[in-house]
Amino acid sequence: MKRAASDAQAEVLRDAKVRAEGVSKHLLQHGRQFAVLQEVDLDAQDGEFVSLIGPSGCGKSTLLNIIAGLEQPSSGTLYLNGRRAEQRLGTVGYMQQKDLLLPWRNVLDNIILGLELRGVSRRLARGRALALMGQFGLKGFETAYPYALSGGMRQRAAFLRTILPEQEVFLLDEPFGALDALTRTQLHEWLLGLWETLHKTIVLVTHDVEEAIFLSDRVYVMTARPGRVKLVQGIDLPRPRRLDMVTTAHFVALKAQLLAALRRESPAQYEG
Amino acid sequence: MSPPDDAYATQVPAQPGMAPQAAQYTWRLRRLAGSWLPAALIVLGLLGVWEGYVRLCAVPKWLLPAPSVIAVTLVASWELLLGHTLVTLLEVVVGFGLALLGGVLLACGIAMSRTLERALYPFVIASQMVPIIVIAPLLLIWVGYGLTPKVIVVALTAFFPIVVNMVDGLQSVDPDAVNLLRTLGANRWQIFVKVQVPASLPFLFSGTRVAMAVSVIGAIIGEWVGSSQGLGYLMIRSKPQFLTERVFAAIVVLSVMGVALFVLVGVVEKLAIPWWHNEQRQRSL
Repeated sequence: MKRAASDAQAEVLRDAKVRAEGVSKHLLQHGRQFAVLQEVDLDAQDGEFVSLIGPSGCGKSTLLNIIAGLEQPSSGTLYLNGRRAEQRLGTVGYMQQKDLLLPWRNVLDNIILGLELRGVSRRLARGRALALMGQFGLKGFETAYPYALSGGMRQRAAFLRTILPEQEVFLLDEPFGALDALTRTQLHEWLLGLWETLHKTIVLVTHDVEEAIFLSDRVYVMTARPGRVKLVQGIDLPRPRRLDMVTTAHFVALKAQLLAALRRESPAQYEG
Repeated sequence: MSPPDDAYATQVPAQPGMAPQAAQYTWRLRRLAGSWLPAALIVLGLLGVWEGYVRLCAVPKWLLPAPSVIAVTLVASWELLLGHTLVTLLEVVVGFGLALLGGVLLACGIAMSRTLERALYPFVIASQMVPIIVIAPLLLIWVGYGLTPKVIVVALTAFFPIVVNMVDGLQSVDPDAVNLLRTLGANRWQIFVKVQVPASLPFLFSGTRVAMAVSVIGAIIGEWVGSSQGLGYLMIRSKPQFLTERVFAAIVVLSVMGVALFVLVGVVEKLAIPWWHNEQRQRSL
């Protein structure tokens, strides 16, 4: 990342909703230490949609795990709301790749899990979830069990579970990875609509360049292992975004730029 | 904003020309018949061969009674059999109940604490290395001839499959599911109660079915070693009197009891964890 850090900009960065500063992560494997992340700086402002792309194994998911508090960095600092945050579990919404709906709970009770864990009564929590079922396309499936849902519905249920505790930052780890292309595009538009009404900060990990451009305000490109930030690309496409923007010259130019940056990292994965 | 449609959200198995309810009913009936019929035919065939052999070769009753003779005995001495059956049933139910309670508590302790696992698991395994037939006579000396030694024998044989299966279940939980709860702010106890325990229930029920089967064996062993009541006692007493048909009648009652208890566990399982069975069925469709 080019550290074009004038003082004014540094001030803005310190106010970021989420900020990772000089985060490194080393792992010990077979008695040898190797770096997964090296000096990564990342920030997301209030209400910003930021994406993270990079070749597989570049530590994208590790970075999200660290931001969520599931792992601690080997070195570096994390800030939430401008303050140093050592303990982050339970304060950041995190949606992992798998939907992880609990098979013994029906859809509604899966969704209220986060509220339930905070001690909100089930009755109250269910009421709040029910009010959002329609918006998430789950109306009529409240008492269904996860095995009866399609992939897209499971993903939306998992997403509703993530946002129901009303945190301000959401980390999404390839939430659309396992879905077919059509469901995926539908969910992209749906997610953007939702994000615009919620005014939340989102950090999305994806390996799909088009998805990153279509959804984000800024895109971070990471290098192959050890993961470093290679490029931060602002996406100045107007909002609300529409599907037909994908074919505009500006979009295509952005895509070419990001693909070029990625291709130098792993030629095999991003050919064509 | 409107969410995308899902045309294939639920899968209802449909059969042409039939109301779905009726279709499902006949399907179930057919499946039931399919699962029981072969076994029933084999039993009937064997009984026929047995009856024919005893009659044709004029085998004496004390050596091998014909099925028809056993049936007559079952009806004629039903009062005697019922009394002894209730005693054995009580031993099984109480012993099994203790095994279930103790087994579940022990499994929770072992799964929650590494120290407890290291301290207790070796003894759990060692308890099965000493044959129950060796322990049973000692129990007679220590606690007498009553209900207690039989209950202890039943509990000792039954608790092992319960503990081992439940520990496996508690420990085999998806680490990602645990991480999900952590990111939602759950503490260790919440993770245990809301993820580990429910995920372990299918394992627990597998162990419970095995435990139920060995409980009946445990009760009979307890009675053989020394008792004055119960189906095991009835067998032991009838044998030297050459009342072989009564031994067989006791065996029949015992088998029926064992199967009934086994089926009961299955029914409780279906009621307790319906999600598990639905998911299995979905997977096999």
